[in-house]
Amino acid sequence: MTTFAQHLTGQDEGPNAQSSGALPSIEYGLVRAHVVASLVTLVISVLFGILVATKFTLPEFLGSHGSLTWGRLRYNHTEGIFFGWLGNAFLAFFYYAVPRLANRPILSRRLGWLLFVVWNFAVVLPGWMLVAAGFGQPLEWAEFPLGVAAFVVLAFILMVFEFVLPFLRARPSDLYVSGWYIIGGIIFTMLAYPVGNVVPYLVPGARGAAFSGLWIHDAVGLFVTPFAVAIAYYVIPATTRRPIYSHFLSMVGFWLLFFIYPLNGTHHYVYSAIPMSAQKGAIVASAYLGMDVILVVANLLLSLRRSSGIASKDVPLRFVWFGVIAYLVVSLQGSVQALMPVNRFIHFTDWVIGHSHLAMIGFASFIALGGIAHMWQRIPGTRYNERTMNWSFWLIATGLTLMVADLTIAGLVEAQVWQSSAPWIDSVRAVGSYWLVRTLSGLPILAGFLLFWTSLITGPTLSDSVVSENGRTASVDVAAFEDGSASPEVRWTGWLSHAHVVAFGAGVGFFALSFLVLAIIPGNQLEREIKQAAPVTMASLTASEQRGRVIYGREGCAYCHTEQVRSLAADVRRFGAPTEAWETKYDYPQLWGTRRIGPDLSREFNLRPRDWQLTHLYNPRLVVRDSVMPPYPWLFDGSPDQPTQEGLDVLAYIQSLGRARQLSGLDRQIPPSSVQPATMDMAIAGAPSARATPPTVPIAMMGGYSLSAPLVHPASDPNDLQEEVSRGGALFAANCAACHGSAGRGDGKASASLLPKPANLTAARFSDERLSSVLWNGVAGSAMPPWRQLPTEDLRALIAYIQSLHAPAAAPGIDETASLDLGKALFVATCASCHGDSGEGNGPAAGALAPAPTNFHLKKPTEERAWDVLENGVPGTAMPPWQNQLSADQRHALVEFVRSLYDPPKENDGQ
Amino acid sequence: MINLIVILASAIMFALLLVWWRWPVFRVWIEAPKYSMLRQERRFDDQEREPVTNLSPMASRRSSP
Repeated sequence: MTTFAQHLTGQDEGPNAQSSGALPSIEYGLVRAHVVASLVTLVISVLFGILVATKFTLPEFLGSHGSLTWGRLRYNHTEGIFFGWLGNAFLAFFYYAVPRLANRPILSRRLGWLLFVVWNFAVVLPGWMLVAAGFGQPLEWAEFPLGVAAFVVLAFILMVFEFVLPFLRARPSDLYVSGWYIIGGIIFTMLAYPVGNVVPYLVPGARGAAFSGLWIHDAVGLFVTPFAVAIAYYVIPATTRRPIYSHFLSMVGFWLLFFIYPLNGTHHYVYSAIPMSAQKGAIVASAYLGMDVILVVANLLLSLRRSSGIASKDVPLRFVWFGVIAYLVVSLQGSVQALMPVNRFIHFTDWVIGHSHLAMIGFASFIALGGIAHMWQRIPGTRYNERTMNWSFWLIATGLTLMVADLTIAGLVEAQVWQSSAPWIDSVRAVGSYWLVRTLSGLPILAGFLLFWTSLITGPTLSDSVVSENGRTASVDVAAFEDGSASPEVRWTGWLSHAHVVAFGAGVGFFALSFLVLAIIPGNQLEREIKQAAPVTMASLTASEQRGRVIYGREGCAYCHTEQVRSLAADVRRFGAPTEAWETKYDYPQLWGTRRIGPDLSREFNLRPRDWQLTHLYNPRLVVRDSVMPPYPWLFDGSPDQPTQEGLDVLAYIQSLGRARQLSGLDRQIPPSSVQPATMDMAIAGAPSARATPPTVPIAMMGGYSLSAPLVHPASDPNDLQEEVSRGGALFAANCAACHGSAGRGDGKASASLLPKPANLTAARFSDERLSSVLWNGVAGSAMPPWRQLPTEDLRALIAYIQSLHAPAAAPGIDETASLDLGKALFVATCASCHGDSGEGNGPAAGALAPAPTNFHLKKPTEERAWDVLENGVPGTAMPPWQNQLSADQRHALVEFVRSLYDPPKENDGQ
Repeated sequence: MINLIVILASAIMFALLLVWWRWPVFRVWIEAPKYSMLRQERRFDDQEREPVTNLSPMASRRSSP
């Protein structure tokens, strides 16, 4: 009886086990099981993806259930593709290829079934369920909760025993490149996976991001890429019956990939607070990686030379060929988009989403599908339908090409809008049609996957292996290797006999080097920087804010909203000062994000009032008509003004973002008198060095009345005015009607939960100056934001439209002079402390009030409105009701007086 | 940082090319696995053409006696 140790080391086998001629067993049952699991999880994951894409067009579709909200579906989509689909496909390939490559069976069939159970029923299935139940974590490619991550690590340990040991028991100097990729992928992923899952909980903010960046890239570079390339290197010679072009080049490609790939991680955080030396190192590594991929792809394509006939007829090989081409394209694309001039433009946009789909479908999935189809044809007793397989290829290829082209263009459109000063929502509107096409492009892909599955269960039963037919097409190469003349026995002596061991040690060394140069050294530098820069009084999050952060993470908010303002003019202009490392001192885990569908939130403190935030959270389209953000009704008890504790926690967290920065006093605040027009703002932001400390609060969003707001007048020519009113109506419907109502009566959908209520624009005559100021600065203390991002002509059109809403009333008659005198006396006695003696809204108490008291020289309320305010006050403001303090006659006198203060609009001065 | 990456990657590439150029036996040795892989593949194919006795969908088929 042999011991387990003997079994592991192969001592239970006879000394001639390898050369005896007996072939190792292949566990076809496990191959089949993993193929079935891969295709089931693939279809489910793609359905998740299509739902996610649909929600960009129909954001409220299935929006009332937390488990089907965008963020949780997004987590399950990517994790399903990663673990469910690709993980199972790779495992199926291992069971098929490892015994052939190592000439040793896998360690144990029982261990294989245990691995199958762990992978599917302790990782994929519970991972999906826990994420849907709200236990996901906001870490890219690590969204399954930590408990599930532990089983992932266990599975990789089992893989080492199951698949790596057979290679170690074989003669390593004769190991084919696919075997090296399998060994390297398993061991390095086992080491890297905990980095992406655990370290961000131990190392906060910018330092944690340095580690997260490693895993984001290693997930693709050390898990997806090696195994997919292993399949390509296996399927091509096995199908064509010709050796690959150069095994030397394949090994150079292998080692360069493992040396270079881990060094790429930080290119996900270019222009961030991570030290520039680490960023530039990652960019250089990205360029090297592109060169390495050219080498690998050239070798693979040269291996197909003189086999074009087979490649066009053999659908599995065509899948692999497509994947190899996609590998080249996506890798070169990745190298280019890491470069700073490109990265500053396209990062965070849909371009990157197109890139990732090209990588995961075009490269990895096509090769995995080719590998599955190749294996399936060689499993005795299986069915195979070549016709449907062919249709599957074309459907997936067509859908993918459309999707990637669409997302790439959408990314360029988004980037163009983000570089301008247009409101953020304009970028959402601009790509709405692209998102629809992207959703539709997912349908042929899904149909292709279903057909692929169909092709494995229909068609004739394969009683004989298909490859045997191809194998009869002998070539010169085949003859050469069959008679042994092309594979002479080369005996190595001394240390060279352990060359592969040395090389593997070097690989581990480079893996460690990546942590040293991209995570540990920058992390230490950041730690010193944080100690120097962080205020000693910097407060951590409250318990409520901390709970809100967890909810924010589980709902996937960080996958649409970044929390990092990059050191770029466009970012600074739009969001405020660049994020510094010390601001992230308490961020466990970091939530910097790598995608912007909504705006960055890192300067949200003091930016918008509580009622706006709650209304937006309850249903974003109540306040932003064209928003695609999902609603979160499960955080409320039926209405936006009734948040649950979870809703309040999320609100507390969002309103804490940027607090430390703003309270630190480290930034030089710009006094109102120095605020410049938008063109000057852009010039300042375009040269950050001109102002060492840009304002924390985004320039575009700074509230407060500014004398320097440009005074915009509508056109004086009636025809031009009519045109402006017409265009202003469209602008109003798109940007203002959600709160102010379609007719401007202050009765929009959001008005029910906003306090103070949105202004009834029909109930007052607003001067050009008043409207210019409000549109430029917003109304502090209310939900009214500034709209200074809009071009001047749009502001002019809006002013023209708003003024057209008011129906002029007759001026007070001369016989009412007595009433005006009484009104003035009452005004000075009761109203002047806030509104000022002359009604300019500048009384002694005005400075402490938000919203500021009305300046009656710029706004003339209708009689009904003025009367209503005096009777009932203005809820949500400092204006109290005067019904009990003043008689009806006195109130009437006050109404007449405040209406008499209005100065008619100045004549058009040409602005 | 950049210098380190460039020097290391370039040195590895240069060393490999040098060995490949100056040491013909290395070329033979490094290319051997691509032939042995195909030889192994042929052995399995030959065995697959033997009569199959167990075609149960989830059963493992032990190819060795």
